[in-house]
Amino acid sequence: MYDTPEFIRAFLDEVDEQLELFEENILKLEQNANDDEIIKTLFRVAHTLKGSSAAVGFEKMKILTHEMEDVLDKIRSGKIKVIKPVIDVLFRCLDELKTLKEEFSSNGNDIKTDITLTLSELHKYMSGDQLLKETINAEINKEFKLDLEQQIQAQQAAASGLNVFVCEVKLKKDCVMKTVRAFLILNFLNQLGTVIKSEPDITDMNDNIDVESISYLLITEFDKEELKVKVLDRMLEIESFNADSFDLSLIHRQPDNGCNVTKSNGYEGQNTNETKNKANQTVRVDIGRLEKMMEMVGELVIEKSRITQIVSFLHERYNSDNSFEDLEEISNQISRITNELQELVLKVRMLPIKQLFSRIPRLVRDLANSLHKEIELVIEGEDTELDKTIIEDLADPLVHLIRNAADHGIETPDERLKAGKNPKGTIRVNAYHQENQFILIVQDDGRGINLNKVKEVALEKGIISRQDSDLLNDKEILELIFKPGFSTSQSISDISGRGVGMDIVRNNINKLNGVIEVETKEWEGTKFIIKLPLTLAILNGLLIRINNEIYAIPVSNVIEIVRLNEKEIKKVKKQDVVIIRERTISLIWLHDYFKVPRKRRNKNIIIVILGIAEKRFGLVVDELIGNQEIVVKNFSSYIGKLDIFSGATILGDGNVACILDVAGIVKTTASKKICDKKFV
Amino acid sequence: MNELLDYQYVVCELCGEKYAIKINEVYEIIRFKKITYLHNSKSYLEGIINLRGKIVPVINVHRILGLEDYSDTKSTRIVILRFNDELVGTIVDRVIQVTKFSDIQPTPETVDEINGNYFEGLGITQDGEVIAIMKIDKLLNAEY
Repeated sequence: MYDTPEFIRAFLDEVDEQLELFEENILKLEQNANDDEIIKTLFRVAHTLKGSSAAVGFEKMKILTHEMEDVLDKIRSGKIKVIKPVIDVLFRCLDELKTLKEEFSSNGNDIKTDITLTLSELHKYMSGDQLLKETINAEINKEFKLDLEQQIQAQQAAASGLNVFVCEVKLKKDCVMKTVRAFLILNFLNQLGTVIKSEPDITDMNDNIDVESISYLLITEFDKEELKVKVLDRMLEIESFNADSFDLSLIHRQPDNGCNVTKSNGYEGQNTNETKNKANQTVRVDIGRLEKMMEMVGELVIEKSRITQIVSFLHERYNSDNSFEDLEEISNQISRITNELQELVLKVRMLPIKQLFSRIPRLVRDLANSLHKEIELVIEGEDTELDKTIIEDLADPLVHLIRNAADHGIETPDERLKAGKNPKGTIRVNAYHQENQFILIVQDDGRGINLNKVKEVALEKGIISRQDSDLLNDKEILELIFKPGFSTSQSISDISGRGVGMDIVRNNINKLNGVIEVETKEWEGTKFIIKLPLTLAILNGLLIRINNEIYAIPVSNVIEIVRLNEKEIKKVKKQDVVIIRERTISLIWLHDYFKVPRKRRNKNIIIVILGIAEKRFGLVVDELIGNQEIVVKNFSSYIGKLDIFSGATILGDGNVACILDVAGIVKTTASKKICDKKFV
Repeated sequence: MNELLDYQYVVCELCGEKYAIKINEVYEIIRFKKITYLHNSKSYLEGIINLRGKIVPVINVHRILGLEDYSDTKSTRIVILRFNDELVGTIVDRVIQVTKFSDIQPTPETVDEINGNYFEGLGITQDGEVIAIMKIDKLLNAEY
C-alpha cells in the first residue's frame, strides 16, 4: 500500500542519508571505541532503517538491520567489546545494505543478494562462545580515553608508588538524581586521592541522563580494600563498588588501522549534537521547484536592473518632484530585497562538500588495506559549500584522484623508508572558496609523476608521435595523462590502471566548466588543483565584444587576459599561436567562424586566455566590457543545441547576450579549424 | 475544411501580401525589438529576443517563403506563436486586423510562386478578398 513512487523515493533518500551517517560513525568508532554517543547513533540508524524498510515491505533489509540492532544493543550495554573484527562486521553490514539498496532501487523487491553469510557473522557475536573469547581477551579494565596531560599524570603517580585504580561504582536502580549521586562520589573520592577522569564524564552530564554505573580513574595511596570500605561506609545508594588496578600499558595503545583521519576543523564533542538537531529541522524539497524558484528570481533580478536604469534615466528630468523621490526610494528598496533574495535562493542549493568528503575516509581505509600501504588522510574545508548538482558530478573525479594517489602516488612503507621518508604516506584533500570559485586540491606526498615514463607510455600507446614528443615541454608532457587510454601502471588492478580514470576526471570537470591543473615533483608528490564555478545557474561573466556583438564568458574559465602586439603572433602548421611564459597557446578567432571581418583598430590585440579542464587557448576579442553576474538561460528545444553557445543571458539594458561555451569552442575548433584562415 | 471557418484569424502583411494566422496559435504581438543574432544556427532563425525575461527565438518568415527580406520600420511587429509548448516569434511587416472567413478553399500547388505546403488553405472574406492561411507547424519546421 505504500509503494507509490514518491514514497519509494523518500525511502531511498532516507536510506542514503542514514547509510552515510552510519559509515561516518563506524569510522569514528574505530578511532574512539568507547564513545557511547557514537554507538547510540549507530543504533539509532539501524533502528530507523529497520522501521522504514519494514514500512516499504523490504524484508531482507528489515532482517539485516534487525540483527544489526541486536548486536549494537549488546555493544551499547557493554556486552560486546568494540574490537576490530566487530568493526569489520559492521562494515560488511554497511556494504550489504548499500547493495540491497541499489538492487531495491532498480529491481524493486526482487532481491537476489544473499545476506545469510553476513547474518551468520552477526550471529556469531550474538551467541556466547565468540563473545566469551573476545571478552576474556579484552581488558578487564575499562579503557579510558586520556589526553596527554592525564596520561602523564597517571604515569607519574604509578612511578612514585601511588595506586592507580579503576573504580567501578554501580548505583542502586531506584536511586533518584543519579547524576548528583555520582557527583557526590566523585567529591568523596577526591578527598581520598585524585580522580583523573570519570566514564561517563560527570562534569559534562545533564541531570536527566540515566547512569547506573560510573567508572572513576583514581590516584590514591589507599589500597583496594581500604577504599571499598571507606566508600561503602560513607556513601549511600550504592549497589556495588569495585576497584581494580589500571593497566598503564593501555595508555600506549594507539589505534593502528593503517589510516588515521585528522580533521582540521574538528567536530568532536558538542558539535555532533548541534548537527544532529539541525538535521531534524530540514525539509525535503523537489529540486525542480528550487530550479523554478531560481529561474523566477533570475527574472526578478533582470527586471530590477531595468527599473534602476529607468529611475536613473528619469532622475534628471524629475528630480524636483516629491513623488519621484518616493519612486527612487522604492527602487533602491527593491534592489536590496532582490539581491538578498537572490543570495538566499543560491544558498538553498548550496550544500557543504562534507557529504562528498565523508566517503573518503572509508575509501582510503580500504585502499590502504588492500594495497598494504600506510596512508594518513588529512581532510580540510569540509564545510565549504557548493551547488548540489556540482557536488554530484564531482564525486567520480574525486574518487579517481584519490585512488590514483593511493595506488600510483604513495609508495609502499619499505620504499618510503629507503627514500628517507615517513613510512606513512599522506593524502591531503582540501576545499575552499577563492574569488567566487570553488577550489579542490588533492595532494599526495608520494613518488610524483615521472615525466620520461609518461612520454614513453604516450609514445607506446600512439597518443603522440615521436616528432611531437621532442617539442613538448614539461607542462605539456604532464597534460598527456589526461588523454583517453593513458595509464602508466604496469598491471591492471581493481583499483586503477585501466587508463580511463583521468579521462573521467577530465570529462566531468569539462562538463562543469571547470579547470584542472597538475603539479608534480619527482619523489615529493603530486598535486591536482580543480577550480569550479560555485553554481551553474548564476555565474560571474566576463562581457566581451566581437564585431559589435556582446558575448559573455564564464569567469571560471578565464585564466588571464593579455594584450600583445600582433607581430608576436607566430604560425605553427597554419595555426596562429602566441608564446606566453614559455607556453605555446593557440589562438582562436571567432570572427572567422562568425564570418565577420577581423578588426584591427591598433597594433595591439586583446587575448583572453581560456581554460577548460586541462586545455588552454587564447580567444581574440575586439573589446573588453567588464565583469557581471549573469543569469544563465538555456535555449529552448526549438533552437536546439548550438556548437559554441551554452545559453544566453539578459543584460541590464534588456538586450540578450549569448554565453560562449568554452568546451564547445575547443570541440568545434578541433573539427572545423576556425583559425585556419590567414591573418591578413 | 469546415472547422477552419469557426476560427478567428490575425491578418498580417509580408511584402505587401496578406497572410492569416489562426488566433489561438498567437500568444501575443509585440513591437519589433533588437534581435540578438545566433551565429551558425538554423539559417531561417533570425536570433533571440528577451520577452519579459524569457529567451524567445525569432524566425524570419520572409526568408522561409523566399520573399524579399524585411526592413525594420515603425509598423514591423513580432508575432509570438505558441508552438509545442514553447514560444517562437515571427517577424511580420504589419498586423492589419482580426477577421473570420466566410469560405475556405483548398490550397493550390503554389500560391504566388510559394510552395503550397506552407498553407492550410485560402480564406475568402466577406468582401471577397483571398488570404492564404499559414500552416504554422510546417513553417516552423522548415528545412533550409
